[in-house]
Amino acid sequence: MLLSGFGEEGQRKLLKSKVLIAGCGALGTVVANTLARAGVGHLVIVDRDYIEITNLQRQILFDESDVENAIPKAVAAKEKIGSINSQIKVTAVVDDLNHTNIESMIEGCDVIVDGVDNFETRFLVNDVAVKHGVPYIYAGAVGVVGMCYTILPHLASPSVTSNGDPGPGDKRPAGGPCLRCIFEHAPPPGMNPTCDTVGVLGPVVSVIANYEAVEALKVITENWNAINRMMLHVDLWQNTMRQFAVTKAYEIGDCRCCKHRVFEYLDGKLGSSATTLCGRNAVQLTRNSADGHKLDFKDLASRLRSHCHIQVNKFMLRAAIIDGGHPYELTLFTDGRAIVKGTKQPEIAKSIYSKYVGG
Amino acid sequence: MLLKNEVRILVPGVASERFDFNLFGIQAMIYLDNAATSFPKAPGVGEAMTRFVGEQAANPGRAGHYMAVAAEKMVEDLRLKLTQLFGGEDFHRLIFTLNGTDALNMGINGVLRKDGSEHVVTTALEHNSVNRPLQALADMKLIELTRVDFDQGGFIDPDDIRVRIQPNTKLIVLTHASNVLGTIQDIKAVGAIAREHDVLFLLDAAQTAGLVPISIDQMKIDLLAFPGHKSLLGPTGTGGLYVGDRCPPLPNQQSSLASGDVFRAWREGGTGGDSSSPTQPTQYPFYLEGGTPNTVGIAGLAASVDFLASQHSANVLRSEQVMIATIINQCDGDKRFTVYGSSDVSRHVGTVSINITGYDSADACSILDDSFAIAVRSGLHCAPYVHRRMGTFPGGALRISPGHFNDQHDVEKVLTALDEIAG
Repeated sequence: MLLSGFGEEGQRKLLKSKVLIAGCGALGTVVANTLARAGVGHLVIVDRDYIEITNLQRQILFDESDVENAIPKAVAAKEKIGSINSQIKVTAVVDDLNHTNIESMIEGCDVIVDGVDNFETRFLVNDVAVKHGVPYIYAGAVGVVGMCYTILPHLASPSVTSNGDPGPGDKRPAGGPCLRCIFEHAPPPGMNPTCDTVGVLGPVVSVIANYEAVEALKVITENWNAINRMMLHVDLWQNTMRQFAVTKAYEIGDCRCCKHRVFEYLDGKLGSSATTLCGRNAVQLTRNSADGHKLDFKDLASRLRSHCHIQVNKFMLRAAIIDGGHPYELTLFTDGRAIVKGTKQPEIAKSIYSKYVGG
Repeated sequence: MLLKNEVRILVPGVASERFDFNLFGIQAMIYLDNAATSFPKAPGVGEAMTRFVGEQAANPGRAGHYMAVAAEKMVEDLRLKLTQLFGGEDFHRLIFTLNGTDALNMGINGVLRKDGSEHVVTTALEHNSVNRPLQALADMKLIELTRVDFDQGGFIDPDDIRVRIQPNTKLIVLTHASNVLGTIQDIKAVGAIAREHDVLFLLDAAQTAGLVPISIDQMKIDLLAFPGHKSLLGPTGTGGLYVGDRCPPLPNQQSSLASGDVFRAWREGGTGGDSSSPTQPTQYPFYLEGGTPNTVGIAGLAASVDFLASQHSANVLRSEQVMIATIINQCDGDKRFTVYGSSDVSRHVGTVSINITGYDSADACSILDDSFAIAVRSGLHCAPYVHRRMGTFPGGALRISPGHFNDQHDVEKVLTALDEIAG
């Protein structure tokens, strides 16, 4: 309250605000903790996962008793936040964030913060953010590096000018590029390292999540000029902090999402779908991608080999995974689809896929 | 006649050197899942449906404006053609349904009293569209149910059915051909046994209608349930139930509880005629056809039935049997594969199930799709008792089902792929 730019007015705005925390793992717990202590009035925390022992290294709202009690992350986070700041409202949603439910979850939200563990969901969040003009703080951390970028979507309401920028009287600055202006598509599965295959340095998460949190606070208190319009890249091991000027990506590109307002992830046209296999304790995940990329199992095989027993040929990669004490068998095919055996629940299968394959 | 190389499935933007592409970037896929639904549909089906939607899609009615009468005529013409195709006597008794499952449910629920007094004989070869409605009634003790097993080849011995008939047996439900093993059953023998014992006979012709000759009259079938979208090559959302004359409609609603030998309507509503009647009119087909029918689908089915009439059906069946024989000959006896059911293809529709040693059926199915662009079906095929009997429960098997528009080239490609996968 004492800070310039905040004041009583700022604090009041915080109390009246609603924030969607998409994913409550490493980034999500830190952001939720910071925003709760700052006095954000309503946090909506969405996460499909349950707490595991390996999460505790970085997911600051959880402890060993949560692991023993097998509590969903969103529920445990809500309980912890209740004891940190009982004055605010927390809504815990234990569900997969997908194209059928995300629009109802962002209702009334002032900002969406990123705690997601896969690119596909980020593109979904990006779609919903652009469609409804809700600022979205993109962030990610893996290994020793992290990134953060605040997306202020180009608006498409009657009050905006012809070039999509806010009209007079609206203090909000001009929109910037969205996630799809910068990365056209989600990377193919298995191409990117994940926290569960290469690990993540705890402090990287805290650093990036706190960047996210401060950007969210700026959005809520309408300190528009203070918002970082560059994309931040931090490497805590090489000791580099770089900022990328991304603003031009909107002008030079032809973004399907924010220029053409075609929301392929939100419409369910892109992204993966999950089907429980007929009569089986197994779920098939199908990737509807536009890139047609065929996977080379080599890199993924070498990453997974240290974690689990794998079997690989040119048609498929089969991994016997123990996750949270449960055995699963994940079979990955060259077009990125997978069959996860050991569960009938699509959310669990998706979670296993995100953790060990990524994308 | 649709040419083989015109069979395409849309895969947006996908590019791979393995497949041939036409100018539109569309990938040719070998479709061997005709037991689930046929693809492609008969030439003219899509056009007939488009034409109907564009020009005639009125609600059929026996009187009224020109378009209603035209729609009614289209529906009635097909009703007659299908009745003739299946050797029925009275085309009014052919009821249009949503699919085979709908027809089977209508038949089962139509004839049974569901008061615990009646016994039903069915078999372990059945699809869940028979298993589930019967099992649910048995679990609620509303019927007594006997499930007759099949032999290692995948055949029901008609005498096994005969010996299970009891004084209170009301109904025999049997599939014409197994949707997993492809084995064609001896319908004539079972029909004769049913008639001899004054038991009703419901035939599930899901895998045979349009492919294997059916004669309601000669096979002594009381109820014939069939889908329009499999070997009849019509669109999904079509099917039918022929209700024989041993299943009379209820004479009047008041006697419904007392009378045991009537067919009960269960989809009551508008019929486009007899609107003054307070309850469902008791004439077929109106008795069982409440509500606006799927006229667009029926228009498509009419086109496919016309197409089939121009084909030599015995040749189509023989062609499917030759394709199956090629697969069985190659895989049977090869240690890398297990083939289920009889190898006598003269008693087969175009369906066979196999497994590749060391591969789960779902994984093998995905590899065929992903790496070879071949569509087959894994799992239990909605027929859990078949898989339990064959020892393939719950992993299932790989079902390969060529259809009307497949040829030996497709079979060779799937065999090459299987050989490569099995290593």
